[in-house]
Amino acid sequence: MVLKKYEIEAALATEAQAISAGKLKEDNPLDLSEDFRIFCEACRRGDLKVCQEMIHTGINLNARDRYDYTPLILASLCGHYEVIRLLLENGALCERDTFQGERCLYNALNDRIRNLLLSYDYAKSTNPLQPLAAHITSLLNRQTPKTSDITLVSYDQSFHLHKFVLAARSPYFARKLAAAPPTTSFKLPQTVPTESLGLTLQYLYFQEVSLKTATFGLSDEEELAVLKGINKISGQLEIERLFETITEVSDRRLLRQQRAEELTRGRYQLEQWFKDNVLQHKMVIDTDKVDNIKWDRDNTLYADVLLRADEIEMCFAESEGSNASPSPSESSTPPSSTVQSTLGRLNSIPIGHIRTRSPSCTRAPRRSTLYPAHRAMLLRSEYFLTMFNSPFREAQETPHLQIITLDCSPAVLEIILTFLYTERAEFGLDIAIDVLFAADQLFIERLKQRAAQIISALGNGSTSLVEAENPRGETDEEEVVDIYEVLRAGWDTRVQRLEEFAARYIAYRLEHYIDEAEFVELVKESAKRVKGRQETDTIELVDDIRYYLSERFRLRFEDSGLDEMMDESAQDKVAVALEAMEELGIEDKAEEVRQKEVFAAGAIRTLDGEIAGDEFAQDAINYQILLGKIDRLLEKLDLDA
Amino acid sequence: MIAGRGRQRIRPPRRGLHGDDIDFENTWGTIASAFREIHTKNASRLSYEELYRHAYRIVLKKKGDELYKRVKEFEHEWLSNEVRSSIQALFSPNLLANSQGLGGTTTNERRVAGERFLRGLKQAWGDHQVCMSMLADVLMYMDRVYCQDHRRVSIYTAAMVLFRDDILNSPTSDIEDRTVLGLLTQVILDQIQMERDGDVIDKHLIKSCVYMLEGLHVDEMDAENQRLYNVSFEHDYLETSREFYRQESELLLRDSDAGAYCKHVRKRIHEEEERCRSTLLESTAPRIQKVVEDELIKNRIHELVEMESGVQFMIDNDRLDELNLIFDLYSRVDDKWELTRAIQKRIVDMGTDVNSAAIAASQAPPPAAESGEKGKGAVQERSLNQQTAAAIKWVEDVLQLKDKFDTIWRVSFMEDQPLQTALTRSFADFINSPTFPRSSEYISLFIDENMKKGIKGKTEAEVDQVLDKAIVLLRYIQDKDLFERYYKKHLCRRLLMNKSVSSDVEKHMISKMKIELGNNFTLKLEAMFKDMTISEELTAGFRRHVEGLGDKDPKRIELAINVLTSMTWPLESMGSGDDEEGRRTRCNFPTAIERIKRGFEKYYNEKHSGRQLTWLPNMGSADIKATFPKVPQKDGSTKERRHDLNVSTYGMIILLLFNELLADQFLTFEEIQAQTNIPDSDLVRNLQSLAVAPKTRILIKEPMSKEVKPTDKFYFNEGFQGKFVRIKVGVVSSGNKVESDRERRETEKKNDDSRGFCIEAAVVRIMKQRKELSHQQLVMETLSQLVGQFKPEVHMIKKRIESLIEREYLERIEEAEVDSYRYLA
Repeated sequence: MVLKKYEIEAALATEAQAISAGKLKEDNPLDLSEDFRIFCEACRRGDLKVCQEMIHTGINLNARDRYDYTPLILASLCGHYEVIRLLLENGALCERDTFQGERCLYNALNDRIRNLLLSYDYAKSTNPLQPLAAHITSLLNRQTPKTSDITLVSYDQSFHLHKFVLAARSPYFARKLAAAPPTTSFKLPQTVPTESLGLTLQYLYFQEVSLKTATFGLSDEEELAVLKGINKISGQLEIERLFETITEVSDRRLLRQQRAEELTRGRYQLEQWFKDNVLQHKMVIDTDKVDNIKWDRDNTLYADVLLRADEIEMCFAESEGSNASPSPSESSTPPSSTVQSTLGRLNSIPIGHIRTRSPSCTRAPRRSTLYPAHRAMLLRSEYFLTMFNSPFREAQETPHLQIITLDCSPAVLEIILTFLYTERAEFGLDIAIDVLFAADQLFIERLKQRAAQIISALGNGSTSLVEAENPRGETDEEEVVDIYEVLRAGWDTRVQRLEEFAARYIAYRLEHYIDEAEFVELVKESAKRVKGRQETDTIELVDDIRYYLSERFRLRFEDSGLDEMMDESAQDKVAVALEAMEELGIEDKAEEVRQKEVFAAGAIRTLDGEIAGDEFAQDAINYQILLGKIDRLLEKLDLDA
Repeated sequence: MIAGRGRQRIRPPRRGLHGDDIDFENTWGTIASAFREIHTKNASRLSYEELYRHAYRIVLKKKGDELYKRVKEFEHEWLSNEVRSSIQALFSPNLLANSQGLGGTTTNERRVAGERFLRGLKQAWGDHQVCMSMLADVLMYMDRVYCQDHRRVSIYTAAMVLFRDDILNSPTSDIEDRTVLGLLTQVILDQIQMERDGDVIDKHLIKSCVYMLEGLHVDEMDAENQRLYNVSFEHDYLETSREFYRQESELLLRDSDAGAYCKHVRKRIHEEEERCRSTLLESTAPRIQKVVEDELIKNRIHELVEMESGVQFMIDNDRLDELNLIFDLYSRVDDKWELTRAIQKRIVDMGTDVNSAAIAASQAPPPAAESGEKGKGAVQERSLNQQTAAAIKWVEDVLQLKDKFDTIWRVSFMEDQPLQTALTRSFADFINSPTFPRSSEYISLFIDENMKKGIKGKTEAEVDQVLDKAIVLLRYIQDKDLFERYYKKHLCRRLLMNKSVSSDVEKHMISKMKIELGNNFTLKLEAMFKDMTISEELTAGFRRHVEGLGDKDPKRIELAINVLTSMTWPLESMGSGDDEEGRRTRCNFPTAIERIKRGFEKYYNEKHSGRQLTWLPNMGSADIKATFPKVPQKDGSTKERRHDLNVSTYGMIILLLFNELLADQFLTFEEIQAQTNIPDSDLVRNLQSLAVAPKTRILIKEPMSKEVKPTDKFYFNEGFQGKFVRIKVGVVSSGNKVESDRERRETEKKNDDSRGFCIEAAVVRIMKQRKELSHQQLVMETLSQLVGQFKPEVHMIKKRIESLIEREYLERIEEAEVDSYRYLA
C-alpha cells in the first residue's frame, strides 16, 4: 500500500494533534542535550563503542535531533550495519507506516541494512522486556516444578502465587507479608468477584490485561460487579494504575506505549525489590563455613533456594593488593589502569575486606558468596528448569534451603541474577567472557547474546576511532582484546557474532596477526572445526577475514572513485611485489617476512622505484600482499581453501 | 556508567574452565558411578549441579565425542547385563511353549505366564525411560551442543535404540533365534486371541507394551511407518486377525442365518474398534477394520445375500432390523452393488408377479368361450369389468409394493440416496416392462376410479395421499403421452357425465401433475376444465336469453350445453362418434328439441361468429318427466305414476317417439332407426338399457331376449313400476373401463401418430438451432428432448427424419464422413 503525499500529511497532522492533546505519547521527542548530540555523531560515524556507552547511560534511542533525525535514521543513512543492529537490539523503533520508520527504510544505504530494519519491524518484534513479562505471566499457570508459596483464595477459586512477586508489585502485600512471612494462604473477602481478582493478578503478573476478554460473556450487571471489585482491590492493594491499564484503548500505538510504560514500571518495581532484598542479603563467608548456613523456608525474602559462587583460589603474583577491589555493587566498574597483563589478574571478587589481604601469595581462606533466590525466577534458565524438574537432590524439599553452587565467580552470578530478575545486563568487558560462558552453561540465550554484543561493541579498542578511518591497520601498542580468546570463546559458545567480530578485528589488523604463530594455530583450529562439521573445503575464519579485508580496502577505493584505474596500475606493481615476496617467503624465516610486511609500503617503493607515496596504490598493494600472505599460509598448512 | 572511559580489557575466562587439567577418566568415573546410582534408583542423593558441571566441562573440553560413546557403552552394558537377565528370568516354559503350538498348556497358564512377561518388560521399559530422562537431564549440555553440532541423535533417543537392540532384539534363548520382540508380539497376539474367545485380559498392560513398540523405530530414521509397532507387531496382528476372521466367517455362514451373522459381524467390528482404543493404537483401527470388513463382509457378500435367510427372506418377512444390519455392514465396504442387485431383483420379481397377476385376472373368465355367439356382448362386458377391477388391483398392488420398499428404505437403509435411485429404477423397470403394456391405462383408470368413488367421504389429507400415490406411479411411467391420452379420455367422461365427485380434487390432481410433468402436459387438461366453465356460462346466458324472449312456455325445454373445443377433447375416442365410413351421422331430433337446438345455434353464432357447432347426442343426457297411465299393477293398485327419467340423449329421442304412439302400437328396431337416424351400435345399447335392463324397462321388447335384433318390436311399458320417483337409465358401457383389444390398437395407433409429430417437431427444433448435425447426435438430442414425454424408438426417429428429408426440411450432407444432416431454412 502506497500512501499519497496528502494522506501522509494528514496522518502526520492527526498524530501531531493527538500528541499535543496528550492522548498519544510522542515516539520521537526532541532532544537537544549534548549527550544526544554525541550519540548522533557516533551513529553518523559508525562508532560502536561510543554508541554502546551512550546507550548504557540510558539515553533515549528514539529521540530526534534538531533536524528531525533519529539515531537509527542516521546510522541507516550512513550505512553502519553494526550500529544499526546495536540500536535495534536495544529497542530503537523502526515501525512501518510511521513517518520516522519509513524514513529509516527509505534512507537505508543498502539492501542488507534495509532487510535488517525490516526484520526488526515493530509489528513483529516485541518489547525488549516482553520475555521477562512473559515468564512472570507464565508463573501464574505453571504447575511443575512447584514454585508458588502462597495461595490466594476467593470464594470459588484459588490462585497459587508467589510472595516475592506480590511484595514487589504491591505495597499492600509487601507490608502484609513482611508482617507475617510464613503465611501460606490468604483469604479474600467473599464480596470480590473472582474475575476481578483474576484480572488484578494478571496485571500483577505482567500480563496484558483486557477488560473485554475478562468480562466476555458476562451480563452488564456482572460486568459492573467485576469493575467494582477491581476498583476495590486496586484500592486495597495500592495499585492505582490498574484501572487505567484495563480501560480499553483501540489505537494500536497508544496501546503499545501504554504497555511499554507499564512494563518499564513493573520492571522498575521488581528491580527495586531485587536490589533491596536479594542483593542486600547476599552473604560472603569463608568457603568452609558454607555448610553451616541454614536458611529457614520462612524467611523474609521468601527465597526458596540459595545460590553459591566461590571465589577462585589463586596466588597473586602481582602486587595489587593496594588497589582495592571494587565493592560488590560496582563489581564491574573498570579496574585500575595499573593492570598490566591480562592473565593472572584478580577477578573482581566482591568481598569487602579484600583490601586487608596481603599482597603476597598468602592463602587467604577461600570465600564464598551466597545469594538468596527464587526458583520461580531461576526457571528462566533451562538449566534450572531441568534441575528443579528432575528428581535429583536440588529439587527435593528440605527443611532448610538448598544451596546450589554455581560454577562462576560471584560477580558473574550477580549479573546472571540481575538479568533473570530484571532483564538488565550491563557489565564490563572484564567479565564479559565469563558471563558468556556462564550464560552458555545455564542456557540463558539472551544473556549470551548480550555478552557477545558487549564484547563486539566495546572490544574494538580503547580509541574511539572508527575502523573505516584506520585503513592501514594501525593499532595501539596496547591491545585491549585478546582476540584469540574471544574467537575461541565464540566457537565454544557457538556465537556467530563473536566469530564475525573476531574475523573483522583480525582483518583490520591483519599485519599484526598474520605472522603470529598463534594465528596459524587459530586457522588450523578453524579448519578442523569445519571438517568436524562436514566435508567442505572452506575455512570459515579465512573466508571471513578475506571478506572483511576486502571491505576494509574497497571502502577506500570506492571513495576515490578510481578503483579501476588503481586496479590496473596496482596489479602490475603487485605482481612484481608478490614475486619478491614469494622469494622472500620461501627463503626467509617468518621473522623476516614480518619485517618486510610491516614496511610494506617501503618495500614497494624500492621495488617499484617509480611512484612513491601514492596512498591508493599503497592500499591496493597492501591488499594484494595480505591476500597473498593468506594464501601462502594456507599452502604451508596444506589446506585447501 | 559501566563502560566508562577507562580502559577495559577482555579478560580470559576463569581458570578451571579452560585449564587443560581436566581428568577425563576421573570425571567419567564420577559420572558413571552416579549413573549406576540412578539406575538403582538412588538418584535423590545425587547433586544435579555437580553432574551437570562434570558433563559440561567434558563437552567444553571437546571430549563430547568420548563422553557420548562412553554413555552409550555404559547403557549397553547395563542393559545387556542387568536388564536382559531380569527379562530372561521371566521366560517360563509355558511362555516359550507357545511357539511350538498350544499343546500341553492351558489357556489360563499361558495367560498368567504372558502377563508376567509383559509386566516385566513394561517395568524394564518404564525404568529405562525414567533413568534415561534423568541421564538426559544431566547431559543436557552435551545434547544441545555436541549432538547438535555433530548431528548425533540425542542421548535419550540413542538409549532407546539401545533398548531395542539389547533387549528386544536379543534372542530369547541360546538355542532359538527368536527374539524377545518376536516373543512379545506373540504373547500379545495370544492375549488378544484369548479376549476374542471371551477371556478377560489386562488391556492396560498390553497397551503400555504397545506404547513401547510405538516409541521405537526399526532404523535410525524416525519415519512413522518404521515404528516397531507397525513393522513387527501390526503386520502380524493383521495377518492373524485375517486368518481368524476367515475361519470364523466360514463357520458362521454354515451355522447361522443371515441376521445372526450380521449381528455377529457388527459385534466383531465394534470389538475391534474398542480393542484398538483400549489395548492397541488408534492408528490401527482403520486397518483392522478393513481386515474384518474384507473377511466378514466383502468376501462374503455374495453368499450372505444369496443365503436362504438372505435378503430375499428378509424382504419377504419384513425383517427391517436385519435389513438395516445388512445395509449397515454393506455401507462399510465400498460398493453396495450386491445388495442393490439383490433388492432390485426382488422388486422386479415381485413387480412381475403383480403384473402377471393382473394379466391373469383380466383374462381369467374363460366361460365366455363356450357360450359362443349369443352371449358374446355380455361376456365382453363382464370381462371388461373384470379387467377394470384387475387394473385397479394392479395399481393397488404396485402401491403396496412401493409402500413396502419405501418402509424398508426408510427404516433399514437410512434413506440412502443411491439405493433410492436403484429402487426407482427397478420400479420403472417392471412397470414399463414390455410384457406389460397397460400400465399407463391402469394408472389412469385407478385415478378415474378414485375420482368417481374412491375419495368419497375421505378427508382432504387422505385424498391428498391417494393423489400422491398416483403421482408416484406416474413418475415411473415412461410413455407419458400414452398416459395423457388415457387420462384425457377418462377425464372427458367424468366431466361430461358429471361422474367426478369433486372438481376441486380434479383440479388439484391436475396441478400435481403440472408440478410433476410440466406445463405442456397439463395444458390440454386445463383447457378441458376451461371449456366446462365457459359452457356453464353459456348455458346460463342462453337461459336468460330465452327468458328474455318473453313468452313463458311452461313446456319449454331447458337446455344445458357443453361446448367443447374439438382439439382438446378426445371426442373421437369417446367411441361411436363416427361410423365406419368416417362420416359423422346426424340423428334426427324431435321437433321440440330441434327448435331449441336452432335457438342455441343462433344465440351462439351471435356471440362467436364463424364457429361451427357439431352436436354430439351420444354424449348428452336428458331428464324427462314421464307419466304412466292407470293400469292395474301387479300389486293391484291402479294409480297414475309419474317418474323423472334420466336418460341419454338418444334414449330421450327414442322415448319421445313413443309419445306419439297408442298404447298397443309398436315400433320395430328398423323403424326406430329410420326415424331417428341413430347409429346402430348406440341404438342397440340404448334400447338394451330401456328394454332389457330389468329396473329401467320402460319399453317392452318382443321377443323378450337380451340381444337386440333389427326385427324386434318395442312397446311402451305402461305397467312400468319404479321404486323411486327419479330413475336413472344407465346406458350400458358408458363408464370408463379397460379398453378392449381393438380399442387399444386404435389408441396405440393414434398415439404413434401423435408421437410422430412430436418427433418431427423435436427434430426440426434441434436442426433449426444447430444447422448441421450428425445422425448420431441428432438422435441423441431428440431422445433427450422427448424423454419427458415418452421414449421414442430409434427406428421411428429414423423414419421421421426420412420423411422430413422427403419434405425438404433437411438434406443429407454428401461429403460428410458420418451421416449428417443440414437444415434447410
